[in-house]
Amino acid sequence: MNPALKNTALFSFLGVLILGTGIVQGWNTALLIVNMGLISAIMALGVNLQWGFAGLFNIGVMGFVALGGLATVLVSMPPVGEAWAAGGLQVILGLIAGTATIAAAIFAQKRFAGRTRTLVTLGVLIAGFFIYRAVFDAGVDAVEAVNPAATGYLGGLNLPVLFAWPVGGLLAAGAAWIIGKTALGLRSDYLAIATLGIAEIIIAVLKNEDWLARGVKNVIGLPRPVPYEVDLQNDAGFVERAASLGLDPVTASTLYTKIGYGVLFMIVLLILLWLAQKALNSPWGRMMRAIRDNEVAAEAMGKDVTARHLQIFILGSAICGIAGAMMTTLDGQLTPGTYQPLRFTFLVWVMVIVGGSGNNFGAVLGGMLIWWLWVMVEPLGLGLMNILASGLPEGSSLRDTLIDGAAHMRLLTMGLILLLVLRFSPRGLIPER
Amino acid sequence: MSDNPYQNDRGNKDRSITNKGGSTIQEVDRRFGNSKAKQGDPFLIGDAMTGGYGKGPDILHSCTIAAEKGEIAVIVGPNGAGKSTAMKAVFGMLNVNEGAVRLDGEDITHLTPQQRVVKGMGFVPQTSNIFTSMTVEENLEMGAFIRRDDFRDTMTQIYDLFPILKDKRNQAAGELSGGQRQQVAVGRALMTQPKVLMLDEPTAGVSPIVMDELFDRIIEVARTGIPILMVEQNARQALEIADKAYVLVQGRNAHTGTGKELLADPEVRRSFLGG
Amino acid sequence: MDILNALVALANFVIVPGLAYGAQLAIGALGVTLIYGILRFSNFAHGDTMAFGTAMTIIATNLLLAVGITFGPLPTALLALPFGIGLTILLVLFIDWLVYKFYRDQKAKPVILVIVSMGVMFVMNGVVRFIIGVNDIRFADGERFIITARDFKTMTGLNEGLAIKTTQAITVVVAVVVVAILFWFLNKTRTGKSMRAFSDNEDLALLSGINPDWVVKVTWMIVAALATTAGVLYGLDKSFKAFTYFQLLLPIFASAIVGGLGNPIGAIAGGFVIAFSEVTITYAWKKVLVYLMPESLEPDGLVQLLSTDYKFAVSFAILIIVLLFKPTGLFKGQSV
Repeated sequence: MNPALKNTALFSFLGVLILGTGIVQGWNTALLIVNMGLISAIMALGVNLQWGFAGLFNIGVMGFVALGGLATVLVSMPPVGEAWAAGGLQVILGLIAGTATIAAAIFAQKRFAGRTRTLVTLGVLIAGFFIYRAVFDAGVDAVEAVNPAATGYLGGLNLPVLFAWPVGGLLAAGAAWIIGKTALGLRSDYLAIATLGIAEIIIAVLKNEDWLARGVKNVIGLPRPVPYEVDLQNDAGFVERAASLGLDPVTASTLYTKIGYGVLFMIVLLILLWLAQKALNSPWGRMMRAIRDNEVAAEAMGKDVTARHLQIFILGSAICGIAGAMMTTLDGQLTPGTYQPLRFTFLVWVMVIVGGSGNNFGAVLGGMLIWWLWVMVEPLGLGLMNILASGLPEGSSLRDTLIDGAAHMRLLTMGLILLLVLRFSPRGLIPER
Repeated sequence: MSDNPYQNDRGNKDRSITNKGGSTIQEVDRRFGNSKAKQGDPFLIGDAMTGGYGKGPDILHSCTIAAEKGEIAVIVGPNGAGKSTAMKAVFGMLNVNEGAVRLDGEDITHLTPQQRVVKGMGFVPQTSNIFTSMTVEENLEMGAFIRRDDFRDTMTQIYDLFPILKDKRNQAAGELSGGQRQQVAVGRALMTQPKVLMLDEPTAGVSPIVMDELFDRIIEVARTGIPILMVEQNARQALEIADKAYVLVQGRNAHTGTGKELLADPEVRRSFLGG
Repeated sequence: MDILNALVALANFVIVPGLAYGAQLAIGALGVTLIYGILRFSNFAHGDTMAFGTAMTIIATNLLLAVGITFGPLPTALLALPFGIGLTILLVLFIDWLVYKFYRDQKAKPVILVIVSMGVMFVMNGVVRFIIGVNDIRFADGERFIITARDFKTMTGLNEGLAIKTTQAITVVVAVVVVAILFWFLNKTRTGKSMRAFSDNEDLALLSGINPDWVVKVTWMIVAALATTAGVLYGLDKSFKAFTYFQLLLPIFASAIVGGLGNPIGAIAGGFVIAFSEVTITYAWKKVLVYLMPESLEPDGLVQLLSTDYKFAVSFAILIIVLLFKPTGLFKGQSV
């Protein structure tokens, strides 16, 4: 079977799965899967850029996704005037003091040498830390005291939520730049553990810095790029058109909004996919792969490996940030407590490896396929367990264990799939050409 | 991309998650070589060996190397002549497609390097030939790993042979000087009480004085009756101590004779002893 | 008196918990570092191996309690520990045979093994959840304290109390025993030395006749025992929750790297460095400072450098600082 035919068959299979879900479980579920699947595909595209093109082992995807989510809040929510008046400036000043401290420390590192350097750096850091905490903490307390049940944070810029998507990318890119500068610049080595750590820290910041995005109190009711169902249902014209299609207004409105999201996501995915394909086949992409396959030779030919790695690390992370912003937009809320590395980092890795590392279409396919599976494993597992348990007497403990266990089938299945693909088809479903 | 999807280099620059220094010994095709033992064979002989690494082209062409009991045999030749390759072929580290390797009349062509160690071959690789993080004494113990009997006598003998090692026996081998490290490496190989000792460029990278000392030690080892097969870069000194010498050129036997004969041979002198 | 009070407060809130946590991290990091040294990859499934071992121990504990066996004043889990270790050894050996062996035979690059270990991590995580659920489980029984704060106060007449939990003392004692046995094994036994040789120079180890399969098997057994012990000690001290154990991966890796990956002494030192940094930086120093400073200078805040939620940030920051200034770790890595 030639590759083109095989790829068409694989994507058709995906289509059949989704259609099947639509028919069996309803179109609402199917569209939900499609929308999150598209977002997952974008995340997989970002990781594939780093791993597939450049061989960078980034296991901090969750952090970049969360930064994208933060961008949604910062861009789209209305500013809380009272909070700004109470301590907004002070918080900003505190942050500036913190940044200045770090800048001064770096400057001291460059300016002095020997023991003076250590002493000056330490002095700057300690003094700066206390100044920062003094200014910053007071500001934070003031901000968080403003109506903590509803706001207690600074709010955002009140811009259309679609702006958040590129901003999410920028935010993630900024973080990636800082990480890359330390982890890649030092020795491209410690990236894996460093990214894992950074992701946890980003989540810790989101959970604890209430002034920023309310922490674990969550920001809900984010603006949407598509109309609200209620508005549609109250719109006479819409109800009329729905009726002409034979749908009741409630169903029609939910489908309409989901399709709206789907179209937006699809546009983003197609643009990114097109760019990634362009990049892959450009001289730049060939150079990236040359560096990946033989770093020493590429360096000997005068390629600046560190700079190229930094570049692609930032680009890949930015894509994850965009996906994160899109996901938060779809959810309509930012809930830092739900970010878990197994779901947002390692699952994306399963997607990339199953799809085929180094192949953009593979990443897209893997993203959607694995997402479908992730959602469907629970009902499928429950069904399977029910069949297994059907022979057992009602109320037996083994039966209960089996049926309760269905809820934990997800991780098990994902692990098995990853292991099976690595073992029997290590290049993935759509291998790199 | 390599043929094996598990061996491409993607992501392996992340050294923190990987430990370099894994095994590099390659799988070798062991179908060939069923020749019968011949009477009057030398103790160790790589007989008319033809072969190369993996699926690559042949590097050795009908190359014969042999060592007799109590003798020092050296392999010399210009760079890229296949000296080390010939020795690795004798030790079973590459495909021998034609020809055979026999030890004490027994065909060992199909054995792995590890099995050859058990059969009584001692091998000292050119590089990474000691356990740097372990003490000198532990290095010797590891050399005797396959022995289940009491090896303290052997260790005493080695300490007699290399007195400096006795002084430094509780020091990490990685902290020793180049010449001392080579002594540890040779000592480690001797711990199995091998029937034959093979040395791959033992004097590479050591100073001339240390080199002379090493050669003296090697002669002492040979006097204990162990045949020695050695690859050497320093052709002149090597030929001086050699009972038997092989000059390889492009994987073929170019000249064979005693060390003295070859030193006297005008062609050998001209072509690579520098006149 | 004030200085004594300050010291006691410091011991109570920083030194004792730090020692216990450091010992737990050290035993965990030893497992990571051994796998890294011998099998040459970073085992991301280590946290979940700990979780599995602990889950098995909890089940064995419950069985023991059900038939009425307890360990007197000590936690019953200590009696159950050998069962947990045994089952974990069986599991890791099975996984090695089923999964890792193939990649070793293929001479797969280490990064492939890391990804494979991610897959194993998923599966083990699922299995643990399947067996024991996702809830917080406390399984420490017996005496809770060796000395309570109140007893200490009446005993010494100080304002500050020093409480030492049984589990903290057990952690430290068990850690010392485990480390002593491990080092004796690595330095004095034939198998232990062959493991060090294998880690140092695999080719030469093979040429010396060391059996790689046996070395790998023994390594997995030791790692399973270490992981289970670390997991049970942590669980006794705090509580057991599958997800927490997964998160322990970061401080454990930080400990192993800070100490120098592949170096057992480094792993222990790294464990304590990370533990004490976490505890001191997230501790509210006011309690100690009130005794040391003159009244006028007494701090009004908590004097807490960072909130406890940032303990990951501490491990991570230490990791980065060490990597920037001493990339091979405090002790030179790669020398089991």
